[in-house]
Amino acid sequence: MNPSEQVILRDVKSIVERHSGEHCDLIAILSDVQTKYRYLPEKALRMVAKETNRSFVDVYGVATFYKHFSLKPRGEHLASVCIGTACHVRGAPSVTAEFERQLGVSDGETTPDKQFTLKTVNCLGACAMGPIVVVDGHHFSGVKADDTDDIIEKAKNGFDQVNIGSDRRIFPIGVRCLSCNHSLMDSDLPIDGFPSVKLTISFENKHGWIRLSSLYGSYSYESEFPIPEDEIVNFFCPHCHTEIIGAMNCPECSAPMVPMSVGGGGIVQICSRVSCQGHILDLSSNPV
Amino acid sequence: MNKITSVEAFGEFRRRVLTDASTEAAKPCLVICAGTGGQASGSNDVMRIIKRQIVDRNLQEKISLRVTGCQGFCEMDPFIVVEPGNHLYPKINMKDVARIIDSALAGEVVEELLYREKNICKIHYSQEEIPFFKKQTRTILGKNKKIDPIRIMDYIEAGGYASFDKIMSPPDPDWIIEEVVNSGLRGRGGAGFPTGTKWALARKAGKKSTQTYLICNADEGDPGAYMDRSLLEGNPHAIIEGMIIAAVAMGAKKGFVYVRSEYPLAIKHVLIAIRQAHQLGLLGENILGTGLDFDIDIFRGAGAFVCGEETALIRSIEGRTGEPRQRPPYPIEKGLWGKPTCINNVETLANIPVIITKGSEEFKKVGIPGNTGTKIFSLVGKITNTGLVEVPLGMKIKEVVYDIGGGPIGKTKIKAIQTGGPSGGCIPARLFDLSIDYDSLAKAGTIMGSGGMIVMDENTCMVDIAKYFMKFLKAESCGKCFPCRKGTQRMYEILDDITKGKGTLEQLDLLEELALAVRDTSMCGLGQGAPNPVLSTLRYFREEYVEHIQNKRCPAGVCKDLVGAPCQDACPLGTEAWRYIAHIQRGEYEEAYRVIREPNPFPSVCARVCSHPCEQRCRAGTSGGEAIAIRSLKRFITDRADPVQYQALHAVPTSPEAKKVAIVGAGPAGLTAAHYLSQKDYRVEIYEADDRPGGMLLSGIPAYRLPRDVLQKEIDSLLDGNISLKCNTELGRDLSIDSLFDDGFEAVYLAMGAHKSRKMSIENEEAQGVIPGIKFLKAFNLGGVELGRGQVGVVGGGNSALDAARVAIRQRDVESVTVYYRRTRQEMPAYEEEIEAALEEGVKIETLTTPTRIIAEDGRLVSMECVRNQLGEIDGSGRRRPVPVAGSELTIALDTLIVAISEEPDTAALSAMGVKVNKGSRVEADLMTGSTSRLGVFAGGDVVTGPNTVVEAIAAGKKTALMIDRYLRGGELHQPAEIHLPEVLLAPVESGADQDAGAARVRQPSMAVTARKHNFDEVENSLSAEDASREAGRCLRCDLEFARAHADLTCPGCASGDAS
Repeated sequence: MNPSEQVILRDVKSIVERHSGEHCDLIAILSDVQTKYRYLPEKALRMVAKETNRSFVDVYGVATFYKHFSLKPRGEHLASVCIGTACHVRGAPSVTAEFERQLGVSDGETTPDKQFTLKTVNCLGACAMGPIVVVDGHHFSGVKADDTDDIIEKAKNGFDQVNIGSDRRIFPIGVRCLSCNHSLMDSDLPIDGFPSVKLTISFENKHGWIRLSSLYGSYSYESEFPIPEDEIVNFFCPHCHTEIIGAMNCPECSAPMVPMSVGGGGIVQICSRVSCQGHILDLSSNPV
Repeated sequence: MNKITSVEAFGEFRRRVLTDASTEAAKPCLVICAGTGGQASGSNDVMRIIKRQIVDRNLQEKISLRVTGCQGFCEMDPFIVVEPGNHLYPKINMKDVARIIDSALAGEVVEELLYREKNICKIHYSQEEIPFFKKQTRTILGKNKKIDPIRIMDYIEAGGYASFDKIMSPPDPDWIIEEVVNSGLRGRGGAGFPTGTKWALARKAGKKSTQTYLICNADEGDPGAYMDRSLLEGNPHAIIEGMIIAAVAMGAKKGFVYVRSEYPLAIKHVLIAIRQAHQLGLLGENILGTGLDFDIDIFRGAGAFVCGEETALIRSIEGRTGEPRQRPPYPIEKGLWGKPTCINNVETLANIPVIITKGSEEFKKVGIPGNTGTKIFSLVGKITNTGLVEVPLGMKIKEVVYDIGGGPIGKTKIKAIQTGGPSGGCIPARLFDLSIDYDSLAKAGTIMGSGGMIVMDENTCMVDIAKYFMKFLKAESCGKCFPCRKGTQRMYEILDDITKGKGTLEQLDLLEELALAVRDTSMCGLGQGAPNPVLSTLRYFREEYVEHIQNKRCPAGVCKDLVGAPCQDACPLGTEAWRYIAHIQRGEYEEAYRVIREPNPFPSVCARVCSHPCEQRCRAGTSGGEAIAIRSLKRFITDRADPVQYQALHAVPTSPEAKKVAIVGAGPAGLTAAHYLSQKDYRVEIYEADDRPGGMLLSGIPAYRLPRDVLQKEIDSLLDGNISLKCNTELGRDLSIDSLFDDGFEAVYLAMGAHKSRKMSIENEEAQGVIPGIKFLKAFNLGGVELGRGQVGVVGGGNSALDAARVAIRQRDVESVTVYYRRTRQEMPAYEEEIEAALEEGVKIETLTTPTRIIAEDGRLVSMECVRNQLGEIDGSGRRRPVPVAGSELTIALDTLIVAISEEPDTAALSAMGVKVNKGSRVEADLMTGSTSRLGVFAGGDVVTGPNTVVEAIAAGKKTALMIDRYLRGGELHQPAEIHLPEVLLAPVESGADQDAGAARVRQPSMAVTARKHNFDEVENSLSAEDASREAGRCLRCDLEFARAHADLTCPGCASGDAS
């Protein structure tokens, strides 16, 4: 990724703004910048210095002090091998060596094709099941040197790949409106091969329908208007036209949640930020 | 949820929640542990399947599901606990979920899926019964099971926020501080500073300031400790409640949770909890209408261990590099942004609601004076039950390691625990009686620290551990002060030298001196604690350092540059197992035989009866899979070779003027020594007390394990023209050491073995029918005499007891054979495969039984009186001591009783000959050289070590031959040790590697039980060529790394790649 100066300036400005307050949280700013670019580009660091009224030396000092930050571009996948004490006594060194061998890079380096960055970390706090490896947020426990090729392969294929047809963890849920108790299911236009959940949404002066997959574990949807990424939308029941909004906030992104009742009892809540995968399925018959 | 604006309204709200919860219709609940550890083992998948079952089958009214944070028993993840009844189903598979739901609905259990205690296979029906939980006091951790961390109502239902009744109506900071002081709570972050005192100081400083800050230190940087993560993930409201109480006590308006960015789930759950507390009016401005303001922000650390140090942590929040500064002033007076700042650890804060709700007096009842309450430890490393354990302070280490932790994995021995992370130290197993409290640990040279307890066994190298921590510390040293920055670097370099065989004994002193200097002169806790791992390992395991330096050996087989290929390193003979395995894979069987034969004159014997230490160290096994069947591969090769074919180096007899050496004992040690001395041009005479050579190989090991013709052939191949053998000649009776020297022998090697059975020392042991184990085996193996008849009992649990039992069951007049052992099968020293084979053949094993008396009539055995034992405390050997159970006496009718509890050498005659013998009747000999107290007299094998393995005896014979040669040439016996790394490069055969990966270990074929039970034909058979090749293909070829490097070194052309 090689973003233009203007784009960086815009991004940095919005990040700094998000963290403006009585005290400026430089480490959080740098973390957000790194999340954006997968590393800390020099241009961004200079702009952070300017925007936070610090010297570039100060910002550079912080960026190089903490292990979490990288001044070099990182690969698409990040493989972290835990070398904490418990993992160490259970064989982490041979796992690290095998990753280094298979990827052809040493600790902290990125493969020439920019696919993988290999990093050792001091402790991931899952000591009882070591050796632990985390790739793109997915934990692997009790890893043996033998397992490395498999893990790398899985990462290349993407962890979110699911086979809707055969995966037993994915199943349909029928839902109703909490206000009028009308079924929200629409069998005319199925998604993922099952009746979809039809709702009305509004955002940016647009008002139209959205159909969501009724499969728990699928995030497929269709909508009348394309929804911009990160947009929080308002949901309505297409039958009683009541706005559907719950008391809870999304555990992932803190946007409001959209609750619907589940046939047989329980409530499923989805995040009103359509690009967010936050959801809660509460199956008690009398949910709070 | 609506904001609550008064303390009374909140109290009412809380009571209503509690009443609703208690009146709600009881229905079974599946509780699933889904902390980071659970999720890493697949608990999310199990959870989805449970949800699917509930939805598909419309079970919402009949069963409920609770998703919790970490419950601590991480070894068993993913697990489900079914309430009521608390039935624990460990390591759940997705396909078993439906059955568990069915049984829960029916109020039943699925027995075969319930938790079973390892080794004894005992089923435990409820969580409380499981030994891992039974001895714990889970005041803090126990709540995790009751709470879905993203639901504040769960926390309130579990009694959360009950302290608000006391602290808010009206707020009384002095009372709170008094309670905390009185509770005796000490900081759980590691240093153990009294929390109440800290709060009082914060309150005093805060009165003079506009702002006081409260920080929850969740920068859990100690590798191997994760209790703070589990608390934040599993019960975030407890930390928030603790922080609110602290804030009220010290008048803080603003709090921070400083948490590592490596803990994403903890961050998420704390954020949700803070938001929920806000919504309910428990955080923010004017909390519950009391006029108190307090808010909490989360701060993500960015990966710097030193930020756990309070001044560094503060600088980090200020947005600067996390370098500590000099104290005083302490943060409590001048901290974050120059304001008074109180920093408490996560676990400390989790204890606060308990103290306030229950009262300090109640809190103090747990633990010991000065060390009150419980402490959570992460019990990890080489232990059966890994996980989080919470115990009262003052519990003994051994209770945690053995009772809760379940002891070592398999038959290994626990060597030490490490506490306190990189600033802590090790405690050796012999000190496991130590009480776990701040002061006892400090006295033992370590610290409580945040609660990591890493268990180490004999496969853990203590020098490597010290080096590991020093590598960590040199990387994490912030660099501000010189002693820490350079000191950790230099200590690392010295340790690195030692692990690579380049260390010297002088360096050890330097290391110690350096460690003390760094400890005394560093600025912050990181540097001051950094030398601890070095100092404590030096204190308790200095001999391991010396072994690395002097003998260039890593006893644990860890330090790669000394070990090379672990199989070769583990073999007392240094056999290059990797090399013959490579030859097998390449189909080069003759070369393979040569590799086996060169270091070992008894290849066919070892291929059958070797204890194969190579397999215990095999990396294919230690890295989590199954070790290569090295002994079976050796057997495959030796079965195809005639030992005579191997050309001895010296076919021509040495001249008559050559020096003469006498060897006493024609067992494996004696014959081996004779063989190698003959090759070095000595004339050797062997004196054997029995009528044939072979020693224990012949008299102790039955023919079904080691066929006589195989043994004879191998012995014959060794007896060349330089060696003469005199049987039926016993030292003490027929000759003496003086007489040997008089006869012109210039050196004597004592290798008589250990042929005397130890007595039980109970009444009537002399009765007819009671037979010492060795006498029983010898009678049959040498003379073909069958001494067993009728009901046979064998006392003992070692290999000779099992050999005696298996021989007895093959004898004509024997009706039954039972082995009586005083501990459990887990503790039996006999090889597992021997125990299995004996059971298959119909031998019965009665464990936890000790004979107390033999009952004889007319001088002849009729029965044996025994007492049953139960396992008691752990003894010095790391095993549980058998304790007789009063009133459990029983009498067993017997016709034959074989006593095979242990053997010792028969050395009564030696003292008079000037050779020192120790208490166990063993000859005192230098372990490195074999020399005894008398000049020119050497000793080795079982006569020195007591009953030991065949391969050790062969190794002793081989080494002594070398030493006798040095002695007779007037050379120095002690010579610098050498490192033996693989040097020969054998290219691996590239085959369908994908198919071989993950293939199971080959099973050696054996004769069916019915066919073998009544004869002495060999039980085990040879592998087929296909099986051997496949098994050889599983080898990880640890040699290649070294052999390739060696090849590059010795072939400069290849290394430089320079064609000009």
